[in-house]
Amino acid sequence: MVQTQSRFPRPDFESGYVYPEQHFFTPNEALWSYIDIALLVLLMGFVAWAVLKKQIRWPVMLTSVISIAYFGFFRHGCVCSIGAVQNVALGLASDSYTISLFVLLLFILPIIFTLFFGRVFCAGVCPIGALQEVVNIKNYKLSKAVTGILSIFPWIYLGFAVLFAVTNNGFIICRYDPFVGIFRLGGELPLLLFGILLLIVSVFTGRPFCRFICPYGAILSLFARVSFRQVKITKKECINCQLCHNACPVDAIRPPYDNIVKENRSTGVKRILRYIVFLPFMVMAGATVMYMLGDKFGKMNEEFQIWSGITGAFIGLVIGLTLINLSTKRTRKYYEIEDTDCVCCGRCFRYCPQNGLSQRREDAK
Amino acid sequence: MNNPEKRRKLLKTCARFFAISAILALIIFSYQKTTVKEAAYFWQIDPELCIACGLCETQCVLPVSAVKAVHAKEVCGFCDLCGGYFRANVKELTTAAENLMCPTGAIQRRFIEEPFFEYTLNEELCTGCGKCVKGCNAFGNGALFLQIKQELCKNCNECQIAKVCPEGAIKRGRKAYFKPY
Repeated sequence: MVQTQSRFPRPDFESGYVYPEQHFFTPNEALWSYIDIALLVLLMGFVAWAVLKKQIRWPVMLTSVISIAYFGFFRHGCVCSIGAVQNVALGLASDSYTISLFVLLLFILPIIFTLFFGRVFCAGVCPIGALQEVVNIKNYKLSKAVTGILSIFPWIYLGFAVLFAVTNNGFIICRYDPFVGIFRLGGELPLLLFGILLLIVSVFTGRPFCRFICPYGAILSLFARVSFRQVKITKKECINCQLCHNACPVDAIRPPYDNIVKENRSTGVKRILRYIVFLPFMVMAGATVMYMLGDKFGKMNEEFQIWSGITGAFIGLVIGLTLINLSTKRTRKYYEIEDTDCVCCGRCFRYCPQNGLSQRREDAK
Repeated sequence: MNNPEKRRKLLKTCARFFAISAILALIIFSYQKTTVKEAAYFWQIDPELCIACGLCETQCVLPVSAVKAVHAKEVCGFCDLCGGYFRANVKELTTAAENLMCPTGAIQRRFIEEPFFEYTLNEELCTGCGKCVKGCNAFGNGALFLQIKQELCKNCNECQIAKVCPEGAIKRGRKAYFKPY
């Protein structure tokens, strides 16, 4: 629409009319963004200090409450690190899209913290994780098969989110965020119901969203695998009492495992190599299927199909690697934390008898 | 190399090196794409593209849309027959409700001197339907335009209005459109 035609000239007032001061909708100061970033770093540092140095849980709970109140209900859960994945993906793929520095920091800071201290962001700094953490009461264990299959889903979700973001077809993570409706006290009914359902489920088993949906958690788990500092259940020796395993809400503590099938090292290596040879076929199969399906998802064009094929290759790779991972079994003498799955919630510390009263007395001295 | 502990440690060091370089690459590549001006990061309506179709009123995630009409008095003709205030083809220029364009009565009209009238927008009542904007642009100077009120905007990562805007007028651009004149 064409603006400011001068069909009617500006009137010359004789009665001494003064033009009022014009008020435009200029943006707020970016102050809140700075507070967001500062609080993000502060809370992640606080959690890291608590779970790595002090091995205590209350700071995680405190952080969770602060995060729910501030990032959740006050800032209405947007922009968040999970959604920032799409901004960064679109920014890298497109020439015209610009990422805000603030969003880039939201994306990269938790990754850097994860590389150094493990998934401290997930513990309670992420309002979605925090919300599920504070309602979690009971830990009904899901069977290994169920968690194994469901934990591929975040990767597939990540693949699709990036696919739709880079082809400018919308941000599906934001579109189908089940918790933003809760933080905004209203939203689309199906999503709101899904969010409430997830919360009800997370009363009985830990963090269904973080484990089986969150695509950002999938990225963080990669970096957590090689993090410099890792959470230890106790500073003393494990007595294999199983209490931490029962307490863990996300099944991140693996029980001792005696590998009965004594396999020669060379045969083991050969077996893995055979699987790895099989991997390109998985990738190719995924790419072909998704390339064929490409025209069903969104705008029918060549570019989308190519991106769809790349996504398919990624999904094939993830499924292949997961299968290979399932076939390798490592002997464990004690209960050990699987760093990829551990969300640093700190529940296990109190359950470990080695961290008992005597330990606290020693610490006090 | 036959010690599994050492082997695992070596692999981990390699993986760490890889992870650090991945983060650095990500920072370097995406930093080039970051906005320089922070102000340009906010959702805003490009008034030149906006056709005041009325989707802003209903698509915003807020119960009452963050989009409001703005009246640029510098451009206003202070007309008696205001296209933004009266509906088309009204018989009498009275303030009776059936004559008025604004469905919520957000536009106030005040007589200044013959033949000029001053119009004031009440943002509390405005729903961003854009009817007045259409009217003013059709018959008048185009002093009215729609803009997102930043105090209200939640700055969603993906603006729900931007997704459906037929003209692609809602964007986070490099340019700031808040003051078009």
